Amino acid sequence: MISFVIKRLLLLLPVFLVVSMVIFMIVHLVPGDPIDNIVQVGSTPEQKAALVASYGLDKPLLTQYAIWFGKMLQGDLGEAIILRQPVSSLIAQNLPHSLALGTLALLFSTVIGIGTGTLAAIYKDSMIDRTVMTLILLGSTVPSFWLGLLMILLFAVQLGWFPVSGARSWSAIVLPVLTIGIGGLALVARVTRVAMIDVSRKDFVTMLHAKGVPSRQIQISHVLRHALLPVITILSLRIGWILGGAVTIEYVFARPGLGSLLITSLNQRDYPVVQGCLLMLSIAVMLGTLLGDILQAAMDPRIREGMN
Amino acid sequence: MNFLTNRTNQIKAVTMKHTLKRAFLTFGLASLLVTGALAQNATFVMPARDVGAPNYDPIRGTRLNAATTLIYDRMVIQDADQSFHGQLAVSWQAAPDGMSWVFKLRPNVKFHDGEPFNARTIAWWVPKFKGTENSFMTDAIDKVEIVDDLTVKFVMKNPDPNMLFNMASSFMGVPSPKAYDAAGDKYGVTSAVGTGPFKLVSFVVGQQTVLARNDAYNSGSALSENKGPARIRNLTIREIAEDSTAFLELKTGGVDMLLSVPTDFLPRLKAEKGTRVVTLPGRELFYMPINTSVEPFTDIRVREATALAINQKEILANLFAGVGAEANNFLISSLLESRVDPKFNISYNAARARKLLDDAGWVAAADGSRSKAGTKLQVKLWTQNGTEFKRITEVVQAQLKAVGIGADITVFDAATITAQYRKRTEHQLAVRSYTWANADILDWFFSGKRLGHPNHSMWNDPRAEVLNEKAMKGSRTWDERVANFKAYHEYVLSQFVFAPIYQPVQNFAFSEAKLSVPARVRGTAMQSQTVLDISVK
Repeated sequence: MISFVIKRLLLLLPVFLVVSMVIFMIVHLVPGDPIDNIVQVGSTPEQKAALVASYGLDKPLLTQYAIWFGKMLQGDLGEAIILRQPVSSLIAQNLPHSLALGTLALLFSTVIGIGTGTLAAIYKDSMIDRTVMTLILLGSTVPSFWLGLLMILLFAVQLGWFPVSGARSWSAIVLPVLTIGIGGLALVARVTRVAMIDVSRKDFVTMLHAKGVPSRQIQISHVLRHALLPVITILSLRIGWILGGAVTIEYVFARPGLGSLLITSLNQRDYPVVQGCLLMLSIAVMLGTLLGDILQAAMDPRIREGMN
Repeated sequence: MNFLTNRTNQIKAVTMKHTLKRAFLTFGLASLLVTGALAQNATFVMPARDVGAPNYDPIRGTRLNAATTLIYDRMVIQDADQSFHGQLAVSWQAAPDGMSWVFKLRPNVKFHDGEPFNARTIAWWVPKFKGTENSFMTDAIDKVEIVDDLTVKFVMKNPDPNMLFNMASSFMGVPSPKAYDAAGDKYGVTSAVGTGPFKLVSFVVGQQTVLARNDAYNSGSALSENKGPARIRNLTIREIAEDSTAFLELKTGGVDMLLSVPTDFLPRLKAEKGTRVVTLPGRELFYMPINTSVEPFTDIRVREATALAINQKEILANLFAGVGAEANNFLISSLLESRVDPKFNISYNAARARKLLDDAGWVAAADGSRSKAGTKLQVKLWTQNGTEFKRITEVVQAQLKAVGIGADITVFDAATITAQYRKRTEHQLAVRSYTWANADILDWFFSGKRLGHPNHSMWNDPRAEVLNEKAMKGSRTWDERVANFKAYHEYVLSQFVFAPIYQPVQNFAFSEAKLSVPARVRGTAMQSQTVLDISVK
């Protein structure tokens, strides 16, 4: 198992290299630059060139990338040009909020999604199955922006249970978590349902029934365990979706987070901050995928053996 | 023994009673204090367009937010009637030839860090603008002479009757020299030290600013009934980009005031019990620059036709429910320089627009489109992200189509569109706005020295340059300046280098249950002069 983990970690290195290069290039190729936001209007080309040089933006792109990458390996993500703070401090201020929101939303999607999918599979083709799947489908097709505003209207304005926005108390995270979580649980529920139905048809399950094991016990202790494998794959892929969706939710709920920081810095073309945020998001996705692979390997020896 | 026991018990009872009484009194007082303290806290929401402003550095900053005037006092502040009132300056005098200004400074003013404000501060402050984006505010000042501890003299390079307007700008808040020099590039991010009614406690970009009352403040201007300190003890200013969320926060009591309210929300806010909406004259103007350097707009007839195709009345009525005013020239209507000869004002006239296009050789086809020598009259119409911009642009597109000008809309974010303008020949028409309450905005947008951006009309006209120079630098007095700018303005209008569209008003809304706001709001915007007078109920 340890060798499996080490091999997977080593595989991440070239991925990280490519991702960092793509991030860097894309940010610099988008029209507009941070110097436009700070250079004096009417400045001569020479004055602008001096300002560009002072931020190292006059060097060839590959050289700039190499400098940035080298500093990044030492933990230095550079200095924000417009926001005038170390990028690492800006990220440190905002990352915990994104992690909290993302983790709780993922947890919500997982628990509720697996629960409802299991329920739907156990009561397959019944009214319960159809009702549950319809409600989930409705929740997942509503755009997250609109769902967030609906949540605010119902739970914050009408019922007064939660604050409308911000991050000043623990209760302020509930509605954003629900908004992202509801959007994500449909896929988890459907995959769980399909996987459980598929596993239920396997011979070993028939044998368990023949041996007189109670049906509930078979479903929960045996079928679900096997059905979780594809669910874990889906969940690890959802991490990127959840982090991406968090950008909209942070906007609607006026919450701090990497998404808000990314939008603010993108609008001002603050390259170092944009690069830092995208890098953090990419790392989160990579680590999430790695975690999914490790969990799958832990649950399925065939995967470990195949890797070895 | 019984007597003694009884007496002892009586004494104990009385003592207990007194102790309990003291305890209740103490508890009651403490509750009152706490409640009183809480009652002096307020939360405002910043205008959406201020969200993400990166710092509180008025000298080098290119984008400041609404909290800036709460931290920094300025030399003077301006009222809605264009008059100026002293804040850090108590009086001023310009020489008859306009080549010097003498300012008498307010005594006994200290910065939040305890440093004194005096003539040396101003002598340090003015040169700091050199080389920054805001240097145009002080470019006309050759040097600052210290006359005495509370008197400074600005020796001018040329007369600048606009001096007071510049001094009243949010970018002319005076920072503490000690704090400014000590913080270097970090100034305005980790610290911001002024003489204003509030001190900066914390600032998180894109999230909120927390301010604490400056208890030593006593520099309130004539625009405030309360000269200081402020009645609000702790003020949190939140940044909420989504207007619906901000509105719901006010509705639920999560915040106490919205410093800006989109026109869309006015009917709902006015219908809310316990919420009051206050309207101030606007300082913003929506317009459409016309790129005079590219076809078909090198022909003044086509430019005039384009400008006359815009139906300002229709836009005001249908998009903004009549709130605000039509724009018929380039300046907001509160400025004297906007009162040009009516023949120069630009108003909707579709019939004349069509005739001009016919005269210019753009032949109308049966479907209403036009072409000339095989080229269809189809132009690019740019706009930037934002609900108001997109809605106005869509209506403008339809109005242009009605006279036979086809327009393809492209929406950009603010940073990209600026980069595109700098290419100079990529754009043809665009829907934009500016917020500025001074005629020198004509120089900003139409000077030949700023082609591309911000001169999006790409207009470089020798006669305009002469008129501009005379208005900007050749005016010795305010009246002269008004006359010169009117002349420049009229010439700009006569060349149809833009189409005026709409003038919004400024709206802000607050909870009447929570705040007491003066019936008459002074100043050109919701700034420190009004916040000083706001109390928490």
